[in-house]
Amino acid sequence: MATINYRTIDIDALDPDSAANFDLSSLAPDVVPVLTADVQTLAGQVRQLLRGGDTEGALRGALENVPYGADQQGKEVHLATVTEILQSIRQSDMSPMLQRIYQSEGGSELLDVLMKYLYKGMSSKQPSSSKNLSPQPTGFSQIQARGGGEGGGQAMSVLLSWHEKLVEIAGPGSIVRVMTDRRTV
Amino acid sequence: MASHEVHHLFHNPIADHSFSADRKTLAVARDNNVELYSRSGNSFQLQDELRGHDKTVTGVDIASQSGRIVTCSQDRNAYVWEPSPTGWKPTLVLLRLNRAATCVRWSPGETKFAVGSGARAVAICSFEAENDWWVSKHLKRPIRSTVTAVAWHPNGVLLGCGATDGHARVLSSFVKGTDERPEPSVWGERLPFGTVCGEFLNRTAGWVHGVGFSPSGDAMAFVSHDSSVTVVYPTGPEQPPKAVVSVSTQLLPFTSLVWVSESEIVAAGYDCEAYRLQGDSNGWQLTGSVEGKRRPGMPQEREESALNKFRQMDLKGKTKDDTQLPTVHQNTISTARSFQESGAHVSKFSTSGVDGRVVVWNL
Repeated sequence: MATINYRTIDIDALDPDSAANFDLSSLAPDVVPVLTADVQTLAGQVRQLLRGGDTEGALRGALENVPYGADQQGKEVHLATVTEILQSIRQSDMSPMLQRIYQSEGGSELLDVLMKYLYKGMSSKQPSSSKNLSPQPTGFSQIQARGGGEGGGQAMSVLLSWHEKLVEIAGPGSIVRVMTDRRTV
Repeated sequence: MASHEVHHLFHNPIADHSFSADRKTLAVARDNNVELYSRSGNSFQLQDELRGHDKTVTGVDIASQSGRIVTCSQDRNAYVWEPSPTGWKPTLVLLRLNRAATCVRWSPGETKFAVGSGARAVAICSFEAENDWWVSKHLKRPIRSTVTAVAWHPNGVLLGCGATDGHARVLSSFVKGTDERPEPSVWGERLPFGTVCGEFLNRTAGWVHGVGFSPSGDAMAFVSHDSSVTVVYPTGPEQPPKAVVSVSTQLLPFTSLVWVSESEIVAAGYDCEAYRLQGDSNGWQLTGSVEGKRRPGMPQEREESALNKFRQMDLKGKTKDDTQLPTVHQNTISTARSFQESGAHVSKFSTSGVDGRVVVWNL
């Protein structure tokens, strides 16, 4: 007779009251599944706007259509899109643009989404930005110098200056919402 | 201009506070005990201590009519304290919870109280005269996580509870023999124990810190960890709510809220300040801090002598002393409660915080 290793029994599965038996999906807000192909189509449209010089439209477009329901790959694609937009906006344009978005209808939600992308961008080791795109010079000369060898430093400094500008407008509340929100990007 | 009254009691966090009906006695939860202060002149003096819990006390509430005090603690127990000639006499409540109790509130009728806990349940406790003890019934479904806040509807049957699963719920706590059958309201008509009258989630599903019913009981507000305040207006049983208004703020999250009137809420929390919100079912907005721009007593920036400036630089490495916050509370506000009502409005409210202060605010 086979001996049962009692240490390996998953007791949570046997307890009807256990948290392991909860349907966790009910705890999170509903998200609509998004196909990676759709994210790519969107990325194409956003790039079109970017090429046309409408950076604000591109940023809004990217932030309004967040693929919360996409898989890992789709989310990466959208992160790359957002990072690309952020890098193509001049530093002097950041604050006025954020101010305009904040004052528009549902603007604070868009800025929360932007904050999520800033944190996601900063957390990934290899910033998924197209390397041939020249980032705008920012004030973070130290970081640029340090990151020069890695190649990711430039992208990081762009994210940091966006972060600074964004906190000025959206306040610490938006940082708290990045940590709290169960809809991840 | 006395816009507020500050009582710095000690240098420990205050988890919860409660005033007696005449506002002369103040009970605060301090570590494992509850301290009772009584008013003498303009200050509060320590008068008595309720000892009995052996872990941090998380909630205390004084019944406004009977004067009985209920306390709950992380030791999984609750006590009801009654005054007797020899001091306060505790009665243990059989909570039957296997996790810490997190919050406690008397029902408006004072015949029962609700204890929120980490065991994914709310214990509704009522007195059983036959056996001379407090028994509890559990509201378990559909709570999925630690209950962080409970609030009673004015009818004494419906209970609002907020939990770390991000939901604010309205449940019926009707106990046969104790409660009268409640009048039908927007929340429902037939309300047997455990009926779920509403389950609300805000946009981010952030965990809930505080809940509260409006004075009429026809709306419920909750504050959660995404720095938002959400107000729910139900239509009727089994129907989607008329309006769910959520205000995302730029501030740090709120931990507690007080309804001032049907159209005004005061919320306070990690920003160490209380804020006003105004609105109705068409929309709510943050209208500013209760404290006003700057505290009058706050030392203004003085002209410093050069010598003094360099001395400060030398001693502290900075010229300005920034160890004090510009707010009255010097740390997170944990509880806000109504202090005085005039008509349908709250005219004064009290806050207590991690800094050991209890502050009474004029609105």
